[in-house]
Amino acid sequence: MVGRIWAIALNTFREAARIRVLYGIVVLVLGANLLAVVLGQMSIHEEQRVARDIGLAGISLFGSLTAIFLGVFLLYTEVQRRTIHAIVSKPIERWEFVVGKYVGMAVVLTILVAMFAVAMILMLAWQQVGVSGEIVRALVLAWVEVLTVAAIAIFFSSFSTPFLSGIFALAMWALGRVTPDIEAAIKTGSGWIRATAHVALEIVPDIHLFSPSGRVVEGALVSVNGDFITWGYVGLASLHGLGWIVGLLAFACVLFHRRDFA
Amino acid sequence: MTDTVIDVRDLRKTYRTPFRRKKVEALNGVTFEVKRGHIFGFVGPNGAGKTTTIRTLMGLIRPTGGTATILGHAIPSRAARYKVGFLPESPYFYDYLTIAELLDLAGRLFGMSRDARRKRADELIERVGLGRARGQSLKKFSKGMLQRAGLAQALMNDPEVVVLDEPTSGLDPIGRKEVRDLILELRDHGKTVFFSSHILTDIEAIADQVAIIARGQLQALGTPAELVKRTVLGIDVTVRIAADAAIDELVAGASHVRRTGDELALTLATDADVDAWLVAARERGAKVIAVEPRHETLEDLFMREIAGAA
Repeated sequence: MVGRIWAIALNTFREAARIRVLYGIVVLVLGANLLAVVLGQMSIHEEQRVARDIGLAGISLFGSLTAIFLGVFLLYTEVQRRTIHAIVSKPIERWEFVVGKYVGMAVVLTILVAMFAVAMILMLAWQQVGVSGEIVRALVLAWVEVLTVAAIAIFFSSFSTPFLSGIFALAMWALGRVTPDIEAAIKTGSGWIRATAHVALEIVPDIHLFSPSGRVVEGALVSVNGDFITWGYVGLASLHGLGWIVGLLAFACVLFHRRDFA
Repeated sequence: MTDTVIDVRDLRKTYRTPFRRKKVEALNGVTFEVKRGHIFGFVGPNGAGKTTTIRTLMGLIRPTGGTATILGHAIPSRAARYKVGFLPESPYFYDYLTIAELLDLAGRLFGMSRDARRKRADELIERVGLGRARGQSLKKFSKGMLQRAGLAQALMNDPEVVVLDEPTSGLDPIGRKEVRDLILELRDHGKTVFFSSHILTDIEAIADQVAIIARGQLQALGTPAELVKRTVLGIDVTVRIAADAAIDELVAGASHVRRTGDELALTLATDADVDAWLVAARERGAKVIAVEPRHETLEDLFMREIAGAA
């Protein structure tokens, strides 16, 4: 089982590594880091915080967009180009194929996040900011966010077209980023707003957990810059992400299992 | 060991169109058996249900009715797929891989060890004549080369049963002959081969059993000898005659008349007086090259069955 999943993962990695858009995204992230330096210089005594926040936001944003892009295309193109015919006719279960695709994507995304992180650390070093524990924890959270978003994209891609999968995944990610606002809508809204907000909260992962800067917790505004983001928090947030990844992949496997490859 | 390798009973597949939800019956009660060590040719026009049958057998499509087993395992069975090699129709492979990498991927999915994968890949690359293209990515392969690559990946696991969907499609005459020879070689090694084709001469030349499918239903099933009527349909005559010789009387009442230079070929009716025709031809200076009875071919049978189904 592991051998077959790894074979698919390795092949997915090879395929993804050839997608030129990814190289464009790396350039964009490098650009975001340069922008962070420039904006930092423009701020008043906030150079380090601005540089750090923009750097982390760049990883989160571009990492998630890359995850959606890879997730909606890599599974779909297997079916569309019929490359899957020569694969699932071999002794591999369909769920092994889906998991293999996800693992391959996860490896690619992990390498990308690592590259983004190195770019950010270099940028911070230039700003004379050392790599603190808070930054490492924030990077781990960004990485888990990207892997969760990849699972969302794979889930939609298991039954839909890239366009619709992209829209759905983007919507789910965007909603997941604003869960505190949805919670606020439940408290302050009425009627259909409250009902819709309740439903939204139930069906989206709490992606905001992975970018906690600016979140109000127990009446206090917390930030990645503060001490609130402990390893315990990172562990719990990662467990939340892992739960969603496992759940979404399980649904994707069930849906993929039922498909005809005509 | 059971003698039946593939057993298909009343196989059905119904699709529904996306918006109007109209039913389309792609397979409508297909039943046949493939015996061990046989070459089974599956023939039918476009849209007849050949590829649907094959994809159902390979677990790519879920049937809506009926049963099918491969080597005693009900489809879709992973256990059976260990012993089956499959070449899809117009095979699409990962074009960024080389042939060696493609075979390595296939070997990994069969759980083969690294050494076994490498050894088998080397052997198959030479066998399908792609040794010189070893370092090229599949993107640079011609259609014929891709078909050979597909055959190689189908044989990676040294399968007991080989299922080939249109294996000679897109190949030049040399490539087609090589594929036919490969199929015969597989049978000589005790393998069972199930293949579909549009090219009736290929089927007629090598198949032990033939099934004709049209509109999702089997129209005919049997050995070529059983299916094709041995009755004489006409007499094919070929003579050499001067290009300027008058032949109007000779071709009167004949069919399939073809004149190429000084060669005249035609088909006389079964009740025609062949001796008298030959005398008349000789009187015009003709030299007889060949006189032979014309039997029904698989193509004649195919056209008859397809017309019947329509």
